[in-house]
Amino acid sequence: MTDNSTAERDLQDQPPQLVPLNAIFATDFVQILVPVTTANTVREVAAAVAHHVEGKRVRALPHEKVVFHRGRRLPPEMTVAEAGIEPHDHVRVEYDLPKGTK
Amino acid sequence: MSLLRREEWQHFVRDVDWAFSYVDDEAVYPEWHSGTGKVPREAWLKWEEDYKVTYPEYVATQREKESAAYAVKAALQRSSSFDTLDEGWKSSTKMHFGGIALVEYAAMLGELKMARFGLNGAWRNMATFGQLDELRHSQITTFFGHEFVGKDPQYDWTQKTFHTNCWVPISLRNLFDGMMIAPNVVDLAIELPFTFETGFTNLQFVALSADALQSGDVNFANMISSIQTDEARHSQQGGPTLEILVEHDPVRAQWVIEKSFWGSARAFAALTGPAMDYYTPLEHRKQSYREFMEEWIIDQYIRTIQDYGLKKPWFWDEFMRGLDTWHHALHMGLWFWRPTIWWRPKAGVSKDEREWLREKYPNWEGVYGDKWDVIIDNINANNVEATLPETLPWLCNMCHLPACNPTQSRDGSWRVRDWSLKYDGKTHHFCTNACRQIWWKDRDNVNHETVIDRFLAGQIQPMDVSGILGYMGLTPDVMGDDPDYAAWTKDYVGRSATGLALAPAESEES
Repeated sequence: MTDNSTAERDLQDQPPQLVPLNAIFATDFVQILVPVTTANTVREVAAAVAHHVEGKRVRALPHEKVVFHRGRRLPPEMTVAEAGIEPHDHVRVEYDLPKGTK
Repeated sequence: MSLLRREEWQHFVRDVDWAFSYVDDEAVYPEWHSGTGKVPREAWLKWEEDYKVTYPEYVATQREKESAAYAVKAALQRSSSFDTLDEGWKSSTKMHFGGIALVEYAAMLGELKMARFGLNGAWRNMATFGQLDELRHSQITTFFGHEFVGKDPQYDWTQKTFHTNCWVPISLRNLFDGMMIAPNVVDLAIELPFTFETGFTNLQFVALSADALQSGDVNFANMISSIQTDEARHSQQGGPTLEILVEHDPVRAQWVIEKSFWGSARAFAALTGPAMDYYTPLEHRKQSYREFMEEWIIDQYIRTIQDYGLKKPWFWDEFMRGLDTWHHALHMGLWFWRPTIWWRPKAGVSKDEREWLREKYPNWEGVYGDKWDVIIDNINANNVEATLPETLPWLCNMCHLPACNPTQSRDGSWRVRDWSLKYDGKTHHFCTNACRQIWWKDRDNVNHETVIDRFLAGQIQPMDVSGILGYMGLTPDVMGDDPDYAAWTKDYVGRSATGLALAPAESEES
């Protein structure tokens, strides 16, 4: 426990680091470069990726967005550092479609 | 005294070789340039070209070809034919001039390497003619493109392209350095004359020539047809080299073919695909890119490699599936990142053009139609800004083209997948499974840094779109833009549209 809490404190004490991501938004046709920081939340990552695509190449839908990283759906409040997202990692942003929606 | 006939003397001179007495054979033909590998040195004595030519014959034929090509050019220079050409077609030619002129020069260096280090005198003779060919191609392409510089500064990229860090020439440099500059001559003969020239340049030079004639560009058709007649001759250096390599080291032969086939297929999808299926005016299209590929590559080339006792490449299914997607996605990428290129890409998605695309590619509407619809609706809502890039597309670490190849999921939807691998402390991303696998096998060979690598390493400053365009050498007078937005958006004016990005003024209000 002590080790974990020390590690968490160390993480919080550090200035935000740049984390360039390889990202894809939903059904878009191409992966793009999206820079975020270790302090950004997963919700902010979703918004940063969507900024380049939503309503520009993929029609915007009235649903929350979710981020997948290494096959795992990330909680929206988690930070990039907490999620273990590293520079050059791939993330996929999807609409959180209600069940049964295509 | 009458001259001897060619048949009476050529067999004495065509494969003249020397017995070295002061140096070892290895000193003259070092392995790293000559690349005999597992093939015994004496096996190369069997090397024989199918079509034999002498220097006097070569000069006479080339003189005739040059005179004909320049005569047509001189005649057309006085007409107004250039001014009547469609902007889309002009873009195809700008792409060709910039993308090819200095590649021909690099090919000359490759031929010179074979002319020096080829392991048989006949091969070295053929390569000597080959280097003269490539020099002519570089000159004729540069000269024909130069004529238009006064009319349109984008043609200046005929000569400029490979002197810039634009992502397109970086991708081509990566391919051609690997194919023409880095390899030993055995691999080079299989990559360049056999795979690229026998397999792929047919597509650019024969098929595009047909589209050029249809589009009324007699000058361009004349130029590339003149070039293609040379290709047909010097590309025959590949066959005899492959025959000998297959006999002694079939595994190496198979690998060299696979690597160069894949790289060529990716480059042609980017350059020839959009030119055929989008830039050439609808009424002038002879066949779709896929149809051309099927006729000129799939049937012909595969039959050829099977004749040599080799197998279809292991990535064949992935390549075949890509014929329906690669060039459509690359076209969309070239269009969306249009300020980063030296031609004016026309979108080519009016209702009639889409009907043609659906007929040729039954999945086109489901994979690309929805994205073009959002782009169209933004333009019709006077929000062109939403159709301009604010970041870079991720570029594949192998082919340097955008990672934009979707595959179909089990539920029927099309998604772009992540093909990545961690190596040497870094995550590398690839556009396809085959690019990843080829990179892994070839990772110690030539690997240029992609524009993404350069950007993230801080080599591009300032780190924004203006910095990127400056780094690539794109100035406002040459950077690409759609030549006629209305041509492909007017069919959709007035339809209701939801889910669009807000124009800057609207987002300030809201």
